[in-house]
Amino acid sequence: MAARRSKKKSAKSSGAQAASKAKAASTPNSKDNHEFVSEAEEILERMFEDLSRLHEQRHGDTEVAPDLVNQIFRSAHTLKGLAGMFGLDAISELSHRMEDILDALRLGRISVDSPAIDLLDDGVSLLATLMTRLERGESSDEQDPAMVQTYLSRIDEAIRAPEPQTGDELEGLDLDSSLLRALTEYEEHRLRENLRRGRHLVLVDSTFEMIAFEEGLSELSVAVREVGEIVSTLPSPGDAPESQIRFSLLVATEIEPERLASRLDFPNTEVHSIHRGQAGGPSAAKPNSHADSEGAAAETPSGQPVENGPAHAEAGDDSPLASSAAPEIESLRSISETVRVDIRKLDELMNLVGELVIQRAAIAAVAQRLTEDKYTARIGAELTKTHKALDRKLKELQSGVLDVRMVPFRQIFEKLSRVVRRLRRDLGKEVELKFNGADTELDKLLVEQLVDPLVHIVRNAFDHALESPEERTNAGKSPHGCIRVSAFQRGNHVVIEVRDDGRGMNVEAIREKAIERGLISAQETLSHKEVLNLVFEAGLSTATEVSETSGRGVGMDVVRTNLAGMGGLVDLVSVAGRGTTVTITLPITLAIIQALIVGIGEERFAIPLNSVLETMIVEPEEIGHSEGREVLNLRGEPLLLCRLGEEFEIEAAGRDERQFVVVLGMGEQRLGLLVDRLEGQQNTVIKSIKGPLQQIRGIAGATELGDSGAVLVIDVSTIVADAVRRREAA
Amino acid sequence: MASSLEDLEMPVKIVEAESGFEALRFLPREDFDLVVTDINMPDINGLELVSFIKNNDKYSSIPLVIVSTEGSDRDRDKGLGLGADAYLAKPFDPETLRQVVGDLLSGRPGSG
Repeated sequence: MAARRSKKKSAKSSGAQAASKAKAASTPNSKDNHEFVSEAEEILERMFEDLSRLHEQRHGDTEVAPDLVNQIFRSAHTLKGLAGMFGLDAISELSHRMEDILDALRLGRISVDSPAIDLLDDGVSLLATLMTRLERGESSDEQDPAMVQTYLSRIDEAIRAPEPQTGDELEGLDLDSSLLRALTEYEEHRLRENLRRGRHLVLVDSTFEMIAFEEGLSELSVAVREVGEIVSTLPSPGDAPESQIRFSLLVATEIEPERLASRLDFPNTEVHSIHRGQAGGPSAAKPNSHADSEGAAAETPSGQPVENGPAHAEAGDDSPLASSAAPEIESLRSISETVRVDIRKLDELMNLVGELVIQRAAIAAVAQRLTEDKYTARIGAELTKTHKALDRKLKELQSGVLDVRMVPFRQIFEKLSRVVRRLRRDLGKEVELKFNGADTELDKLLVEQLVDPLVHIVRNAFDHALESPEERTNAGKSPHGCIRVSAFQRGNHVVIEVRDDGRGMNVEAIREKAIERGLISAQETLSHKEVLNLVFEAGLSTATEVSETSGRGVGMDVVRTNLAGMGGLVDLVSVAGRGTTVTITLPITLAIIQALIVGIGEERFAIPLNSVLETMIVEPEEIGHSEGREVLNLRGEPLLLCRLGEEFEIEAAGRDERQFVVVLGMGEQRLGLLVDRLEGQQNTVIKSIKGPLQQIRGIAGATELGDSGAVLVIDVSTIVADAVRRREAA
Repeated sequence: MASSLEDLEMPVKIVEAESGFEALRFLPREDFDLVVTDINMPDINGLELVSFIKNNDKYSSIPLVIVSTEGSDRDRDKGLGLGADAYLAKPFDPETLRQVVGDLLSGRPGSG
């Protein structure tokens, strides 16, 4: 329930954005229409299904399940809202009137036999037609409303004469007035309907501790729903109003109140009988009712006896409207070809592709061995050829699956706008938020994990970096600050920039703080950039006091750690008085990576290829020293070196031997990793590792190689950051 | 709902409850000056929430605004009967909401 709610919410906000976009462009935007249709057709399909269930039930003998009516009502309501946000007035108006019919039905203002209910089928068909035209770009401003108007006038006719309300049988009930007064019209209707059907009414009073009432109440509700319908749930203060809360559940049931009481064995719970229905339950109220329909059956739509199904479907076909709806269902299927898939299914698929990639490597190794032996060389060559074909197809499969996982950045941008809206209000700062690259795509999983760090960075900018309007005016800037978030692809990476035009970071303050916290010594001379990067260290917050906005205790160090977990890197540029730019560099996907396999002594490691800039052979005498660290002259620039063997305390080749340098790049930083051997490239799937190895810094996970077991994967961002820091500390 | 209040950009702190139960849990935590509730909510409905607040000595003086989409006159009468101070049927004009909220916060009676 909670998940559905939140989903609905995000759909709302995305819709709102899209609608404002469409209006800004002032011409129908086919991309927006497509977005609308792909979301709306799901709702429409559900309405189709629910309506056919409704018809089954209304022609059957049991009561039409109230939840089913509610569900169709909500579908119409959601569709109305969605269409409204996309500026599709005809669809919005149509859904609105259908919602009216369903509202009247669920409140008992019209009966289920009303001709208006038959019109719902036509309404859904008409919606399908409108959406099909929209998707095909055939929608017209004159024709669509005309079609809708014809239909609407039929609705007006059908519900012109509202059925009179039944007399007030609620008056005579032994019910506390506070309970009756808090019943919504819908609940009142349900209460009447249950009375009409001869059900018993009981009041279940239960007191809970305030701190845990939801769990207790939900247990109780589940138990009650097994035997009846909860018409209303009224909270009231408990005997100890500070710490307790009491709930009174008004329950309609077909089982005897005494039996209900004995079934509900809960602490602090009392059951009172309010009204006794006619003996024999629903049969008394409706003589032709099926005896096999238990009380709960009326609650669940699926409780409909199965053997009744086909007969009712036929009954439905008698109506002229049902036949007109049938072909529309066909056309609806072809409106858009969008399918929603659970991300976990994609993960499984991705994993399988990963396994295949590893198997492929094993085949390559076998082919290689066969080729090397002169007796099997021919078959080896054939296998190599087959392997190459397999490899090509596998690459296509891999990129196909990857493509499915990609989602546009727009999703994140929408979340950020919401955050900024809140901040604007809380802090009273006028800040403009601009976005670039909403269509840049990124792995869905990364998008999820990127939200929190980005929200933090934007909050920081809002809270600390941007000055007050007065301060800005005095500095000769426009009074409104601006935060620009851009996303773009660079090679195999996605780069996200958060740029503000605020006061910039106070380098001196950061330095002082770092000295105070013992992160650096007072004698150290650090470059401007090195000082800035200190904000990513734990325990260094430049804000003078903890603010509500930027959160407590969560600093840029957490941002860096989170991003490193995704194989990403965060970098910072700040100019006093001009502003700060935070740059995040992330791999496009984590699922499958190309890795460079390197060897040190007996060990092998995998390095994600997307962070490898180049490799080269280096003779011992080429290695120089600077500030106590080994460096290499790389086309005139000093390249900091790090011996991977020493890093992991593995016995490696001697310092006087020729070695290989793997040049790593992460954001703006460079590091040369010295290894003994380069063993080639492989597609690998990184698996996380558990146990003591997890603790080792510089290891991102493990991967399986086709031929010979597992190797550890180097966490490039940590290795680079550590090495750079050590040089700074030296 | 919270976002339409946010859009008013009034100098108030807004705490948003996603459901009636959440509202019940939030009540003791802060000193609320105003409660705005929908009628149709998951778990308990808005009228039930209003009833709870008005029947609890600790909260009964908090001004209450009911906002509802599927507004029926009966629900409106009931809400006001239970002691809600104002009722707004969606869609409402943001200016009306601002006015009602402003009036209630400054102690003047809200318009029904």
